[in-house]
Amino acid sequence: MKTLSFITGRALQGLVVMFGVSAIVFFALFLTGDPAAMMMSPDASRAELEAFRQAMGFNDPIWVQYGRFLASALTGELGTSLRFQRPALGLLIERLPATALLAMTALLWSSLLGFVLGTIAAIRKNSAIDFAIRIISLLGQAIPVFWLALLLIIFFSLKLRWLPSSGIGSAAHLIMPSIALGAYYLSAITRLVRASLIEVLGENYIRTARAKGISSWRIIVHHALRNALIPVITVQGMYFASLLGGALVTEIIFAWPGIGRLAVEAIQNRDFPVVQAVVLFAAAVFVIVNFLVDLAYVWLNPRIRL
Amino acid sequence: MTRFWNVRENADALFAGFLLVTVLALCVLVPLLWPIDPVRGTLTATFKPPLSIIGGEWHPLGTDQLGRDLFARLGLGTAISLSIVLAASAISVVLGTTLGMIAGYYRGWFDIIIMRAVDVQLAIPFILLILLIVAVIGPSMGNLVVVLGVTGWAVFARVARAKTLEIRELEYIDASRSIGLSDMVIIFRHVLPNIVGPITVLMTLDLPRLIILEASVGFLGLGVRPPTPTLGNLIGEGRAFILLANWLVLYPGLVIGALVIGCNLIGDWLVRRADSRNT
Repeated sequence: MKTLSFITGRALQGLVVMFGVSAIVFFALFLTGDPAAMMMSPDASRAELEAFRQAMGFNDPIWVQYGRFLASALTGELGTSLRFQRPALGLLIERLPATALLAMTALLWSSLLGFVLGTIAAIRKNSAIDFAIRIISLLGQAIPVFWLALLLIIFFSLKLRWLPSSGIGSAAHLIMPSIALGAYYLSAITRLVRASLIEVLGENYIRTARAKGISSWRIIVHHALRNALIPVITVQGMYFASLLGGALVTEIIFAWPGIGRLAVEAIQNRDFPVVQAVVLFAAAVFVIVNFLVDLAYVWLNPRIRL
Repeated sequence: MTRFWNVRENADALFAGFLLVTVLALCVLVPLLWPIDPVRGTLTATFKPPLSIIGGEWHPLGTDQLGRDLFARLGLGTAISLSIVLAASAISVVLGTTLGMIAGYYRGWFDIIIMRAVDVQLAIPFILLILLIVAVIGPSMGNLVVVLGVTGWAVFARVARAKTLEIRELEYIDASRSIGLSDMVIIFRHVLPNIVGPITVLMTLDLPRLIILEASVGFLGLGVRPPTPTLGNLIGEGRAFILLANWLVLYPGLVIGALVIGCNLIGDWLVRRADSRNT
């Protein structure tokens, strides 16, 4: 019962957030100026503009327009790209697989490696290898994605000529973008796993397990890691926003045809309906990911499953 | 006090201090004292590598595509980026702390609204929102400061609220109320001093995010416009020439890295000191 109310509570909170995001996005677009002037050709007469405004409902009170925006957003209608004259949502969906591939690859390698490094650092706390791992994670958080990406290009594409510097198509194209994007994540996961595991290893039940003569390996895998996972999972959702920011610049540098590049190009071309669609979409993904994180939290932590 | 000077225990803070002092010296002394103009170039001296001497002028970090001195540009760019980031951070801190304290002190509907606004703020990808607003209102330095500042308040509000919730239950707050002090006096004179510590730590740990955000916006060409240099647009401009002159990208990145590592280490060190005092 408690579980159910926890989950519905979080789901409702997610809906409220989406409602707020939609309002901000709508009013941000409102600030961009007269939509009629943007959509009509520059030589349209004053009367034509006025007629267009009337027909599109731009003369209605702002809250009526917001209501209409909300209603159409709920049915998946997110406006039309001014540049391509096509539905913004369609453009977004076309670019989705490329971004998903890049983000998943980056997340996968960085989480796996971060887990291994964090575990090693926690077990060998204060040793030379722990120090080395901490320096790596400090660097990973300090280096901007775009700088790392350019260094990779200088080294692997221009000097060694091993990897293609831009584009999409083969597995080789995926290597550098996913390294650049995953580096920040790697250090975040490493730090979290290390801190969390060190805390868990100090708990009484670990000492009991040791006293019972269970092998260290078994203790770490079966007893400690599962509990150390809880804080790691909880903050995953928070890092998701920075992942998107990273994807934006990574896609620009490597000419990766994903959503980030779509968004930046839309901003540069003042194609605001597309930007609006991307912000709404990203916020929706953020809310859903955080909801899944809450579910995982319930699953991993029996203490709140009462 | 003796513990403060224990070099072994505070090695990370000393290293961070060294990094930050070096960067500060770069961005204060170079614009003031370095004789070469950061904006005017010499077209006969383009793409000279670091340590070149051309026409009696020494270029320790080389020159760019217009023959401008990178050392001078990097100094000025760091100063501009750092001013933007610090001013934006000040706005976030003041805005977030004030809203958080009021929400935590009064509870009720104001609290609910503020906390939901925090959720909304954290769900929107900052960088997209910032790019969108800057594209709409124009990429001046002042606009950047306001946009970066106003979009960064949420974490400060969250922490200020949580701390205020704790503090408002303490006896001295009851005492203040019973002698008839107004709510505003209690909040700003008696609650605020007790949350300055955690907020300062949070600010130190939030600065790296702002530094990288400002640099990303500049890198994408949507921040302060060239020829005025910033850490981000130096790298963005240099990107086109990485085959010819990789130093144009290399050195601004090192400065960003030094700043971020410095802030992170100082932040961690402050957290550690606060923890050891509590236990």
